[in-house]
Amino acid sequence: MVATDLLVESVLNGLLLGGIYAVAALGLSLVFGIMDIVNLAHGHMLMVGAYVAIVLFTALGLTPIVGMVVAFAVLFVLGMALQRVVLERVVGEGMEQPIIVLFGLALILESLGRIVVGSDAQATEIGIPGDAISIAGATLSFPRVVTFVLSIALILGTWAFLKYTTTGLAIRATAQNSSAAQYMGVDTDNIYVLTLGIGTGLAGAAGALLSMLFPITPYVGWSYLLKAFAVVVLGGVGSVAGTLVGGLILGVSENVGVLYLGGGFRDIISFGIFVLVLLVRPHGLFGSSGGGE
Amino acid sequence: MASLTDPFEGIFDNRRRLAASVVVLLALAVVPFTTTPYITDIVFTGLVFVMLGVSWNLIAGYAGQISLGHHAFFGLGAFVSAWLTTPARANLPEAIQSPALLAIAVGALVAGLLALVLGPILFRLTGHYFAIGTLAVAAIIQLVLLDQRRFSGGSTGYYVQNNLGDSATFLLMLAATVLVVLVTYAIVNSRSGLGMRAIHDDEDAASSLGVNPLRYKMIAFVVSAAMAGLAGGFYAQFTLYVNPDSTLGVPWMVDTLVVVVLGGMGTMVGPLVGAGLFLSLDTVLRETAGEFATTIEGALIIIFIIFVPGGLYKLLSDRYGSDDAVEGDATAEQAE
Repeated sequence: MVATDLLVESVLNGLLLGGIYAVAALGLSLVFGIMDIVNLAHGHMLMVGAYVAIVLFTALGLTPIVGMVVAFAVLFVLGMALQRVVLERVVGEGMEQPIIVLFGLALILESLGRIVVGSDAQATEIGIPGDAISIAGATLSFPRVVTFVLSIALILGTWAFLKYTTTGLAIRATAQNSSAAQYMGVDTDNIYVLTLGIGTGLAGAAGALLSMLFPITPYVGWSYLLKAFAVVVLGGVGSVAGTLVGGLILGVSENVGVLYLGGGFRDIISFGIFVLVLLVRPHGLFGSSGGGE
Repeated sequence: MASLTDPFEGIFDNRRRLAASVVVLLALAVVPFTTTPYITDIVFTGLVFVMLGVSWNLIAGYAGQISLGHHAFFGLGAFVSAWLTTPARANLPEAIQSPALLAIAVGALVAGLLALVLGPILFRLTGHYFAIGTLAVAAIIQLVLLDQRRFSGGSTGYYVQNNLGDSATFLLMLAATVLVVLVTYAIVNSRSGLGMRAIHDDEDAASSLGVNPLRYKMIAFVVSAAMAGLAGGFYAQFTLYVNPDSTLGVPWMVDTLVVVVLGGMGTMVGPLVGAGLFLSLDTVLRETAGEFATTIEGALIIIFIIFVPGGLYKLLSDRYGSDDAVEGDATAEQAE
């Protein structure tokens, strides 16, 4: 039997980790909810974001917090370019085309990652120096607390942007009914470009945050794609609050599961949860029947 | 040519095509005896691509269900055949040791059975959810086998033994490939094939006309999984090595996808053309582009989907007339 304080500690650390999962999933969820596209390259974009932060830290000594901002910017541009140059040409032709195109993109990013950084795990000594924090007898590592705070800030920022800005309103309108939004003078093409930029930018930021906690290899893409999608089905497509809850659930389940079953089970647990949720609710725990057709 | 009575009607109509097929088959059959082992390996890989492409095309191209877990069935077929010819390495009882051909057949059977069990669960999902669901299930299977080193050899892999020999395995693989193509042709041109295409075009409409979507999805899924397992079994017995990292890995899914997208989804000839093209490309790229080969393959997928959406087969048949147009489409139109 595992000691109680160890359990409390892993639940708390799971919550902190879940914040990052929520950021990663929010990008996927926005794109899925608004554009009805599952970005199969989302995990690979997260990997690119992680390497942006790692390179900035090792080459220039920049703190990963700056790395996160840069990673967001880099992936924001990449996402917009992806929509303008590639996806615009294939949406509306059927479901297969975007899936296959994004699968191809994931492949490109993975193989470029392997060429640029090699296939070894990047040992991340990057992080933010600081003492561990004690809460209720449980010790929380400082970087985890910082990444959690940053994650919450990113999620709140995205939520406020969607809720209180005119552009955010236009995005929500496009998500509800794109033709109606168009009649109201919304340039939906640009909205899609912006949405994909924000979605992939969030993947980049999440990658930078994860690089402080876990080793990153060019092959982590699929794993994080599945985790992010697991959070999306837990939280419901397009729901910011649901995504946060889903992320926290996934982070805690993973950490507690690892405590009992061992580290090799981390991914098996989250993919298992994902498949289970889909079985019970094929459109997600809090999801409506929209999207995904 | 609405050939619900004779599934092979039309396939032997065109003498030129029949003659060409026989010549190609004969040329392939002498490969292990007249060329180097290096070339034999490459051609064998090509046959694996054909099997994977033809089988995935059935579920994705005809039934319209984008499964991204095809590599799991391939890898499972490979591992089951490895366990059966070489049980000692997996600490399995010697009693189950079987001849290679039986082991391969059981591998295909197990892959098909897995699809039979998973199908009703996964087909609760549609569209994107189905694609990601299959990807997740395949990832779970790979992770479990990676963790169970006792059965899979872990990341060091698992060496396979059999008493077949390279040339015999190659010839049997060639025969199996022909079988897979013929069976797929028969299915596509049967009532089931019509059902699959109907689901692909509009599931709700098909359903309201009395086509049972689950039934035809399941047929396509189980048959294509068994065929992928068959390819995996032959692969394990030919290369004599399996590894949960590579044999169960996503790259097989990638290869499958490239073969079908390059050749043309939802056509019978597409995956055959695609396998040939991809094999040549892959071989040349590995020699010339080295580590960039995969990058270029990814780019090719995107370029083909955008600029050559029907694949190479459609491009060629559009340009050079089509006395023997896409058989599948012709049948579908006549039947409507």
